This record gives sequence, structure tokens and C-alpha cells, in this order.
Amino acid sequence: MNNRLLIIEDNEQNLYLMRFLLEKHGFSVIAAGDGEAGVAMALQCDPQAILLDVQLPKMNGYAVAAALRKRPRFDGVPIIAVTSYAMVGDREQILAAGATGYIEKPINPDTFVAEIRRYLSGNMETVDE
Amino acid sequence: MARSTCPAPLFYRVVPIVCALAFLLVSQPLQADSRTVRVGLHEVPPKITIDSSGKPAGIYVELIEDIARKEGWHVQYVVGKWADNLDRLERGEIDLVADIARTEERARRYAFPDVSVLSSWFQLYTPQWQRIHSVVELNGKRILVLAQSAQEQSFIRLSQGFELNVTLIAVPDYPTMFAMIADGKADALITSRYHGKWSAGKYHLKETDVLFDPIPLFYAATKGDPKQLLAAIDRHLAELKKDQRSLYYDALHRLANGPTTFSLPIWVQIVGAGMLGFLLVSIAVSMILKCQVNVRTQELKRENTERRALQQRFMDIIDFLPDPTFVIDEHKRVIVWNQACEAMTGVRKDQIIGQGDYAYGEAFFGKRRPVLIDLLDQPDAAIEATYTRLYRTKNRTCAGTTYSKPSASQGSYLWGVASPLYEQDGRRSGAIETLRDISEQKKTEEALRASEREYRELVMLANSIILRWLPNGRITFLNEFGLRFFGYTATELIGRHVVGTLVPECGADGRDLRTLMDEITDNPQRFARSSNENMRRDGERVWIDWTNKMVTDAGGKVKEILSIGSDITERRQAEEQIRLLNEHLRRQAETLEQRVAERTAELAAVNDEQRAIFESASAGIVLLKERIIHHCNRKFEEMTGYPSGELIGKPISMLYTDEQEYIRFGQQAYTHVVSEKACYKEEMQIVRQDGSPFWARLNLCAYDSNEPFKGMVGIIEDITDEHEVMEKLRQALEAAQEADRGKSTFLATMSHELRTPLNSIIGFTGIMLQELAGPLNPEQHKQMGMVQKSARHLLALINDVLDISKISAGQLELAITSFALSASIEKAVKLIAPLAEQKAIELRMEIEDSAGEIVADQRRLEQVLLNLLNNAVKFTEQGWVSIACREENGDYLLSVTDTGIGIQPEKIEHLFRPFYQIESGVARKHEGTGLGLPICQKMVELMGGSIAATSQWGRGSTFTIRLPHRYQEVRNEQPLADHRG
Repeated sequence: MNNRLLIIEDNEQNLYLMRFLLEKHGFSVIAAGDGEAGVAMALQCDPQAILLDVQLPKMNGYAVAAALRKRPRFDGVPIIAVTSYAMVGDREQILAAGATGYIEKPINPDTFVAEIRRYLSGNMETVDE
Repeated sequence: MARSTCPAPLFYRVVPIVCALAFLLVSQPLQADSRTVRVGLHEVPPKITIDSSGKPAGIYVELIEDIARKEGWHVQYVVGKWADNLDRLERGEIDLVADIARTEERARRYAFPDVSVLSSWFQLYTPQWQRIHSVVELNGKRILVLAQSAQEQSFIRLSQGFELNVTLIAVPDYPTMFAMIADGKADALITSRYHGKWSAGKYHLKETDVLFDPIPLFYAATKGDPKQLLAAIDRHLAELKKDQRSLYYDALHRLANGPTTFSLPIWVQIVGAGMLGFLLVSIAVSMILKCQVNVRTQELKRENTERRALQQRFMDIIDFLPDPTFVIDEHKRVIVWNQACEAMTGVRKDQIIGQGDYAYGEAFFGKRRPVLIDLLDQPDAAIEATYTRLYRTKNRTCAGTTYSKPSASQGSYLWGVASPLYEQDGRRSGAIETLRDISEQKKTEEALRASEREYRELVMLANSIILRWLPNGRITFLNEFGLRFFGYTATELIGRHVVGTLVPECGADGRDLRTLMDEITDNPQRFARSSNENMRRDGERVWIDWTNKMVTDAGGKVKEILSIGSDITERRQAEEQIRLLNEHLRRQAETLEQRVAERTAELAAVNDEQRAIFESASAGIVLLKERIIHHCNRKFEEMTGYPSGELIGKPISMLYTDEQEYIRFGQQAYTHVVSEKACYKEEMQIVRQDGSPFWARLNLCAYDSNEPFKGMVGIIEDITDEHEVMEKLRQALEAAQEADRGKSTFLATMSHELRTPLNSIIGFTGIMLQELAGPLNPEQHKQMGMVQKSARHLLALINDVLDISKISAGQLELAITSFALSASIEKAVKLIAPLAEQKAIELRMEIEDSAGEIVADQRRLEQVLLNLLNNAVKFTEQGWVSIACREENGDYLLSVTDTGIGIQPEKIEHLFRPFYQIESGVARKHEGTGLGLPICQKMVELMGGSIAATSQWGRGSTFTIRLPHRYQEVRNEQPLADHRG
């Protein structure tokens, strides 16, 4: 079992922040800068989980989640939306598209990794507050 | 007369026997030639008998031998069966047949003389055990009859006439017939009377009363009579019949009185020899007596002359009798025929006097035989077979019957009285019969009888009371129905006075009915019809409708009163009831009419009022039936621009902008009216006559919401102006919403854009403070902490601003669920507990049992509670913070109370204004966005509740939320679907 995580994020600073945090905690991180590349990489690299921004070039987060969920091989793979969209319905919309969980930006560096681990362990419950 | 006639029979009896014997002795050897007459005989005792030696005897034999002797014929007998002899005669093998009746058919085959030998009736004989008394009893019987005989045909006619169903068995001769009846192969047989009488005793038969068709019997000759025998036979028979003392009458007498002994030839010969001697003595004696006789003859001549004169006088008397009367002598020859006979029969006296052979019968009755005068010696039964009515007095026989006059089409009823006539010495000398045509009398009698019968039946059976009473009031008759009706028996009632029995003394109304009865008898005309009260035996009063008929005597005086009555008690009661009902109805009708008139007036008034309202209404009013305008007011015509009255009867489809709209409106409005049972309201465009549309507010109500098509009333207001204002407002609102949407989109975008850099700031600050990137010295740690704090504050500000703007833009959507209120409270307390603990502030919870389920947005409510608790803890330095929940007026009251600094009263009203922060010395210590309370207020209001604050400066504050148990949609405006743009 690898501990590879795929981050699809177009903002380099945000990508760097998450990659830094996760790698510090022992994860192997691969990343894609747009939706299409993200889907392609997910298909090639079999990540344990996918962290997905919503606003992405070429193919947005909803489309990526939907595209991945069509493939049975991703059935057990958590897709965690990490987004700064905090308006009403954003959360429901991305979950409906196929995401397993939702983490609002800005992330809390104190709890972020623990949250990712929880998704990986199969505890899909999202956490409030 | 007696003296001269006395010896004659003996003489006449003896002479022919002697002659016959002499003839018989010499006739045997003769051969048949032209003078030989072959006579066919058959055994018909006593008319023709054949003894054991085959020798025939009887009247036919005696007569033919007498004639043969006179004519010089040689007689040969051919004895055989009757039918065989007929065949022989037809073939010419014999010349004569004896004892044959004449029929039409036979008259064609054989030749008949004019003069008959015998007249015989046919009679029916039965075995002793059979009980046949009349013709009708023959139905279903087997009857024997001689084949090819006259009686066969006669009986067939008779049985057809009576519509009898009999089995006729034709047999060739009488011996066969008697043998068959003895064997029980038949019930009855028919023979001629003479033969039957002779045979009855021998065969133990009984004669019946069935007698029919007297017929003459003849000798018959071969067709054409080649030997010309018949003329001689006629001549001799006529001669013989004329003379009462002839051989003929002698033979006839023997025939009627049974067989004599002369059929024994040896005995006869001996006696004959004796007789011969006696004859010689007699001649001698007669010679001696002759002179005495001559003297006596003179005397007799004188007596005869006297007698004739007397007879002539009687005849004259008879001649003038008004009824047809005739007299016959002992030879049945007519000797008197009076004028009345001539008048009735049309047969003149000179035509009939001296005629025998039923000439008198023929004149009156045609072919009918026998007539009364012929039957005088017969038993009553024989007469009754011919006559319908019969009685005898002494020696007179009276009988009557109907018969058909040959000339008349209908039957006449002739009443005859006949009597035998006797000589002084008692000898029968003839008979007299008087006839009377009583057809008219009979008819009248019959009519009277019928009428009497009808009347009797009517009276007895009528369902009416028939009463007869005398002018003195006594009852003489009351019919069966009447007796039953009144309850009396005839013996109880007859002879009593009507008053006190059938008529009460006074009526129920007090009227004296005794005088009424007097009035009736006094003035019968007036009371031809009267209804009055009567009384039954048990006292029950009844009403009877009487028809009174006065029976007057020749003098015109009332003899009797005939009253016919019918019970009208029920009818009277019914009439009374009808009268009462009619009266009641009439009164009701009057009341009703009055009420109708009043109501009509009222309605007219109301109608006028309504018309005034209808016409002067400022709104258009349309009455619809089946979506057709039934009526509309002037205002509606003005609105739509149609001339007065032109809309009536028009379909409302012409008022819609197009057909689809017409259909849509119809479906919507009628469905609404039926399902909601309420009026339908809509604002819609109506097209004027000139085609221009205008906005109208329509209120459509059905008279009967179950059947809206039956009738609806529509109130139409022209809201063109209103609609224009509304349209402007709507546009303004739309512009505002558009602007708002732009603002929201801006805010959303800004929130997103601000979060991205904040993510880096907060993220990396956190990493550094965690010293994941390397260790920090204390100063660095402190400064990084400040960065983190500012970044978080900035994020809180962004979040609150976003919330406020979302709420303002109506974008905040509530997630309404049902949840336990106490659980949410506990959750909020649990979250604030660390902070309170940090500040050593006591947290109190006071949740009443009534705090159960609430229907609201759980997350938002918890957010509000947390915010309030957070504020309370933040502004409290010591003491406690409590959260309480109770119920009031169906709402939950949630209050957060603290013992903090409190709020100055003049500041309280500004508490919920955005970015309003109370400036105070300690304010700095309590950083906040200044948006918390406004957000709380907005959210609570969104959930249908309210929030209020009370405070005492320096003592503490209480924030109270009032929330309904169940959230109910209150927002009018739909949130915009796309909020991101």
C-alpha cells in the first residue's frame, strides 16, 4: 500500500502549503495544476486520496469528481474538496458531484493532516467547526 | 148394430183360412210361368213366420195368397235372408219381396205399389239390464240394425239429428241380430215394431221409448214390374182396406195381438173339417134368421137416418168451431174437416173427406208421423217421444208440440186435444182432434217467463236494496241483499212499519223522519230520488240513496211504493272529507296566494335594489352560464367598449387575448372553484371590442361551487393604472435585485479571492508556529502569533460580511429539520465551556421539561446560541452565564443571561446595527467583527422568531430569542437561483 496523495490545485502557494504539510507528515504527494491533468494523473498513479480544488482551469472540480466517480476503480478512493467557495450550496454541490469530503479554505494547519487521515481511514464524516 | 156385427169376425176369420188352405194344397206343383209369382220371404215374426217344415205364414202370406187367388196367380215362395232376397229381386230371380219400406234408393232399384200393407214404427229394444229411456242415452252404444234396411237409414238420420255417437252394426237378418244381442255383442237393436214386440219376450228384450219414423211397408216388385203385379196388388189392397171386416183387418188384428194357433196345419185341417160342418148348420140357421134380420134391418135404417141427421148437426157445429177440428172414423178416414182446418192447412174439405192413410196428418204436419190422434192408444211414453207436452183427462189426450210448417220458416207450436170416440155400445168408432196454433201465445209466455225470471234474479241477486212498502208504511218485501244489509230476516220485517225498523224516528241531525215518510207518500214526484238516513237492526246509522217508484192502481191511487236503494254511507263520508279538505285547501291557497303576493313585492323591491347596485357598481359585473355571458352591467360594457346589450349571449372567449389563454383560464378557474369551494381570483388581460387589451382583476364566484358551469358571477376591476404602477415597481425591484445580485456576486467573488491569500497566510503561519519548518525563537514565535491572530480576525470579518450580505440578498437558505432543542443547547454550552472555564465563569443551564422538539434550522440556531453565549462569556469577568429555555404562548423562549458589564440603556437600540460596537474602556479587550448580533437577529427573524436584549448597566444583560415550535415559510421573495453569476 502506497501513501500517495494527489493534489489538484492551480494556486502554487496553496499547493505548496498542503504538499509541505502532508509530506512533513509522511505522505507522498503528486500534484496537477488543472482538472484534465488531475484526471490523467489520477488514472496513472492510483493515489490513496485526491485533494481537489473546485475552481480549476480546463476542467473544474465538479467535472473532475464526476469523471473519476464514473470509474469503479476509484470507488474506495476519497476525493476531498478543498475550496474557498463558502457560499450556500457550494458544499452540497461538490458532494453531489462525487466528492467524499469538504475542507474549507483557509485550511487550519493544526488540524488539516488529521482530517485527511480520517478520510483515509474510512471515516467519511465531515467535521463541523 | 151389435147384433148384426157380432158374428162377422168369426165368419171373416174362417173363410180366408179355408181358402188359403185350399189354395196351398193345389199350388205347390205349379211351374213358374207368366202367371207364376215368385215371392221372396224372410222370417220376421209375427209379420212373416216360417214353421219347421219351411212353410211361411203371416199377414204378407195371407194377403198375397188372397190376391193371387183373385187374380189367378200361382205363388211360389223363396224363403231366404232379407238381403239375399233383395239381391234376387234386383236380378229378377224373384218377382216380389214382402215387407219392404220404400226409400228413394230402393225406388230406383225396385218397383213399388201405391198402397202399403202395413204401417210400422221402428223401435229400439235392449236387453233387460240396459237402461235406455230416451234417444240421447244411446250415445256411445253399439246398436244392431238390419243391413240395407229403411230403419238403418232412418236411424242414421235420427242419430245425426241428435248428434249421437253410436256404433251401428249392420247384420243381414233378424235371427243374427237376436243372436248377437244375446251374446252381449251389442247394447240395443232396432226392429220394426211388430217384429220387436213379437221377439221381445222370446229373447228377454225390453222395449224402449225410442220410437221413430212410422213407415209404410210394401210388397216390392222387380224394377219395371214386368209381370204387372203391382196394379193388381194396389187394387186388391185398397179394396181390402176399405172393408173393416176384410181379411186384411183380420190379419192386422192377429198381427197386433200375437201369434195365433192357425199356424199348426194338421190341427187346422181337423178344425176346418169341423168348421165345415158348423158352416152348413150356420147357413141353415141363417136362412131361418134372414126374415128376422130383414125386419131388424128396416129398424136399423130408420135409426141410421136419425143418427145421420144428428151426426150432420154435430158436423155443422164442428164446422163452425173456431179451432181447426177434424174427426176420423175407425178406419182413420176423415169424416169431418171444419172450416178452420181449411183455413189453417189450405186443404179443402172435399179434397180430404174420406181420405185415409194419414191424409189429415199430412195436411197439418207434413211428413211427420204419427200425429196425436194416431197415438191415443199408445202409452204415454210413446206420445211423449213425439209431443213435448202431454196430459190426459179421462179419455181425452191433450198434447202440444212445435213443428215446422212447410210454408213458414220458423217452427210453430201446435196444441192438440184428441179424444177417442165411442159408439153407444162402447166400441171405438173413431177419434176427434182439435188443434190450435198457440205459437204467439207460446212466444208471449216464453217472453213473460224470461222476463219474470230476469226480474226475480235481479231482485234477489241485486247488490241494491229493493224494498216494497205500502202507503201506510208497512213493509211488504225486502230483497235478500236488503235483509242482509239491514240485519233482519224476512219474517221479522215483513208487515212492520218502515219507521222504527229501517228508518229511525229522527235523524242524527234531529230531523223528524216520521213526517218524511208521510211526505214521500203524499208527494211521490218530489221523492223520486232521495237520500236519507236509515238504520240497521243494531242501530247503526247508514245513508242510503233511494229511488222511489209509486205503483198506482187504475184509479191513480198509490198502491205500493217500490224503493231501490244503495248504501252511500262511505260515499257521504268521503264527500264530507273531500269537502273539508277542499275547504282546508282553499284556505291554504288563499294564505299561500297572499304570501306569494307579499314575497313578490319583497322580491321586486330587492330586485330593484339589486339592479341599482348592479348598474351603479364601480366594478364590472358579469353573470356567466357555461362560459357564456348571461348578463352584465353597464360598467362592464363601458370597460370593454361594447354597446349596451351586445355582450348578452356572447361567449367570453372573445374577451381573452387568445384561445390558449381562454382554455388555460377556464381549466384553472373552474378547477379552483370546484376543488377549493372558493372564488377564483386572477389578474389578467381582457380584450376590448377594438382589440386593445387592458389589465383587470377578476373575482369569479360560482352560485354552486359543485357545478360552476351552471352559473358564475364575475367582478372585474380595471386595474390598468394599478398595474402600471405595479409594473414600474416590479421593474424597480428587478433592477434593485439585479444590483443586489451583482453585489452578492461581488461579495462571493471577493470572499473567494480574499480566502486564497488568507489560506497562505494562516497556513504558513501555522506551519511556522508548529515549527515544522524549523525552530523559532521566542520573539519570532510571539510575532508569528500576532500574524496568526490578525489573519484569523480578518477571516472572521470576511465570513461575517459574507453572512450579512447573503442574508441581505436573501441567499441564506434554511435547512429546516425537526430536532431536540435541549440537545442543541447542550452542544452550544459544551463548545463554550472551555472558554468559560478559562475565565472561571460558571455556566448554568435551566431547561424546562417543556423544551422538546423544534422545527427550525439546527445549524443556524446553534450558531446564534453560540454567538450569544460567546458574547456573554466575553463580556463577563466574573460571576456566571446562564442559558434558559421555557415555553410561552406556543413559542420557545431561549434566554442567555450574564453577570457582565451590561449595556447602557441608550445603547441597547443600536445593539443590532452592523459594525456598531459599544465604545467602552473594555471594548478593546473584546474584539469582534461588530456583525455578530445583526447576523443573529437576521437569522432568528428568518426562522420566524425575534430577538430582544435587556440589560442593567454594570449588572449584566439578557438576550432572549422567541422562536415558534414549527418553522413556517414567511418569505415572500424567492431567493435567486444563481448566486455566483
